[in-house]
Amino acid sequence: MDERRWKNLNGCSSSGRLSCGGATSSSSGQYETVWECVIPYVQDPRDRDAVSLVCKLWCEIDAITRKHVTIALCYTATPQRLSGRFPYLESLKLKGKPRAAMFNLIPEDWGGYVTPWVEEIVRSFGRMKVLHFRRMIVKDSDLELLATSAGRVLEVLRLDKCSGFSTDGLLHIGRMCRNLRNLFMEESSIIEKDGEWLRELALNNTVLESLNFYMTYLTEVRSGDLELIARRCPSLALMKISDCDISDLIGFFRAAASLEEFGGGSFSEPPGQVGEGVFNEQLERYADVVFPARLCRLGLTYLGKAELPIVYPVAARLKKLDLLYALLDTEAHCQLLQSCPNLEFLETRNVIGDRGLEVLAQFCKKMKRLRIERGDDEQGMEDVEGVVTQRGLMALARGCLELEYLAVYVSDITNASLECIGSHSKNLCDFRLVLLDREERITDLPLDNGVRSLLTGCHKLRRFALYLRLGGLTDEGLGYIGRYSPNVRWMLLGCVGESDAGLLEFSKGCPSLQKLEMRGCRFSERALAMAALHLTSLRYLWVQGYRPSGNCRDLLTMVRPYWNIELIPARQVVVPDQDGGEIVEDHPAHILAYYSLAGQRMDFPATVTPLDPNTLI
Amino acid sequence: MARSAIEHDFFSKKKESNGLPPAVKSHKIERRRSFRDIQGVISKMNPEVVKSVIENGSLGGNKRKPAVSSPKETQTNISPFPVCDPTLRLGCGHNGKNDEKNAPMTIFYNGIVAVFDVSPNQAQGILKVAEERLPESAELSESNPYNQENLLDGDFPMKRTKSLQVFLKKRKESRGRNSS
Repeated sequence: MDERRWKNLNGCSSSGRLSCGGATSSSSGQYETVWECVIPYVQDPRDRDAVSLVCKLWCEIDAITRKHVTIALCYTATPQRLSGRFPYLESLKLKGKPRAAMFNLIPEDWGGYVTPWVEEIVRSFGRMKVLHFRRMIVKDSDLELLATSAGRVLEVLRLDKCSGFSTDGLLHIGRMCRNLRNLFMEESSIIEKDGEWLRELALNNTVLESLNFYMTYLTEVRSGDLELIARRCPSLALMKISDCDISDLIGFFRAAASLEEFGGGSFSEPPGQVGEGVFNEQLERYADVVFPARLCRLGLTYLGKAELPIVYPVAARLKKLDLLYALLDTEAHCQLLQSCPNLEFLETRNVIGDRGLEVLAQFCKKMKRLRIERGDDEQGMEDVEGVVTQRGLMALARGCLELEYLAVYVSDITNASLECIGSHSKNLCDFRLVLLDREERITDLPLDNGVRSLLTGCHKLRRFALYLRLGGLTDEGLGYIGRYSPNVRWMLLGCVGESDAGLLEFSKGCPSLQKLEMRGCRFSERALAMAALHLTSLRYLWVQGYRPSGNCRDLLTMVRPYWNIELIPARQVVVPDQDGGEIVEDHPAHILAYYSLAGQRMDFPATVTPLDPNTLI
Repeated sequence: MARSAIEHDFFSKKKESNGLPPAVKSHKIERRRSFRDIQGVISKMNPEVVKSVIENGSLGGNKRKPAVSSPKETQTNISPFPVCDPTLRLGCGHNGKNDEKNAPMTIFYNGIVAVFDVSPNQAQGILKVAEERLPESAELSESNPYNQENLLDGDFPMKRTKSLQVFLKKRKESRGRNSS
């Protein structure tokens, strides 16, 4: 299709004009033109998928007007196939390692290399403005290639939980990507050589809107460079950094007039824990910290009770609060949250406690997303009140009716609390519950009925995770999950069910389930293989913990065209322990299976084995 | 083969389908029956069942492709029909004496014809297994279920994200410093 026609087609959606030039006068030409004008407005990828199946013309229109593609696993297609199908792509999201990599379960060299993709982008995608690599391996050479070849066009670069690169690679990005509006590196493992990359970014960029190197543990960050960025980039709306004392950022906050979101930084510890003097000293140190006028999203690392007074002036306008890495006890949570009536998004640890959830339910009626992570299990490390149970959940469900996302680690649970969520949380799209293993006795197990009530009540549910323990969910309960989750696309099931019968019953349902992760269940290889065949929408399966057959013989049941099966055999991993020494961890075997148009991948490390049916028969 | 092989109709093509005809009742092989019919019947069987039967018969060489042509075919190379691999024979510890107890048992599977010298008891055992559904990892699941469960539970400690792990560790270290 020629350049002029492409321009006309893309002109339709970007400028909002309905009339398109270049139409022929014949009736079929006008007919074509109508579709050429309409289709670019269709944004949802599933709708686009349907559009492309109608006829060749529509497929062609879809192909040349598609702006964004997400490839949920980078090994499902080749870069060449992508460029052949969508030559004018402007935005690409690629995901590599299994999600379990976030929990240190996947070997570091598992795969997910961006190199072949970067090479193809530079070769064939002249319009690529937005790149998002998630859990992939990125090398300095990849960044250099991107910067030199696509540097002028690149506007958004997200290296999301990636690894394999150093600050040298970032140096190229800082120097060459003058149109970069968004640089995201949160939770990436970066090898730090120096802090020059930040300086280069500060010197060469004036359009930066968002810079995020939160949780990257970079230490050579100079507050002066941050202030320089704030002064030179008037549109800077988001800044999330690694550790840097907040008292050194007073100048930065003064300069960042447009800042809406800040995360990271750090507070130095009060010298001792004695008397009033300590609090006053802390306050003096941080008293001059004034957050910008538009700041409404905040997360301060190591924020303690003594430093809370700097947050209170902005509390009333806070929409998002990150207390995951704060040092607040239950009482401090209660005090702070009472002052946040506009809060929509809260992340914290279970130190918030049931009492904190009750405060949330009472004062924060606009809550949409709540994530409660697992604090320290050790005695005395967290507040004694710092446990979340059915009491907090029920208060939350009744008080915060706008809830869309809820992820929580609980120490105790009842069916009634899950029913309560089902009755009240009608907007819930994403629900994740993990039952901690510290308490031996749980009030009310199994959770079959509660889970059923929750699933039937929360009809918008798209993502669902349930991580329990032996006895937490019977086979019947597992069957309920299959039967009552019509729209769920992703599931994580941990330690659920009793036997293969439960899994087989489950696999008769879940009509929309595309991605299934399972851990610590007791299903046999054969049942897993059968389930994979039954689940009609399944395109990705990850399992750790199963009853193996000899030689993976039973997995053969699910061998079929385009279905790649990989194994990570059981291994032992040496990890540093808490006291600076080393311990050996046992990692049970994994199965990973996924649909792919690219055939078996060619870059297996020693720790991963493809399942080759020919060697097993 | 000096004497006629015992043929058992365990595809249930004939009316008599249960049990094993004793060695005394020696039937002639129906050479009229074409290989294609046999293959057609085999394809209806659960491959798992047949495979396990072959494995139970300690068929060591089943990975190899059959290299010898069938007795019926004169070509030696590519044959669409099942071919007989005379190496696939099970010796049951007899010296090849003409023992009345042992008789050849012929199994057709996936293009291979295998012949075993088995006693009637062994044959009965093989056929019993073939007639049952294949138990699902029976050995693994039935023995020591609790041990299995314990093993599985113990091996799956709950994991944290890296950032949280690092944060909690740092906090613990600094508390340790403060208290000392």
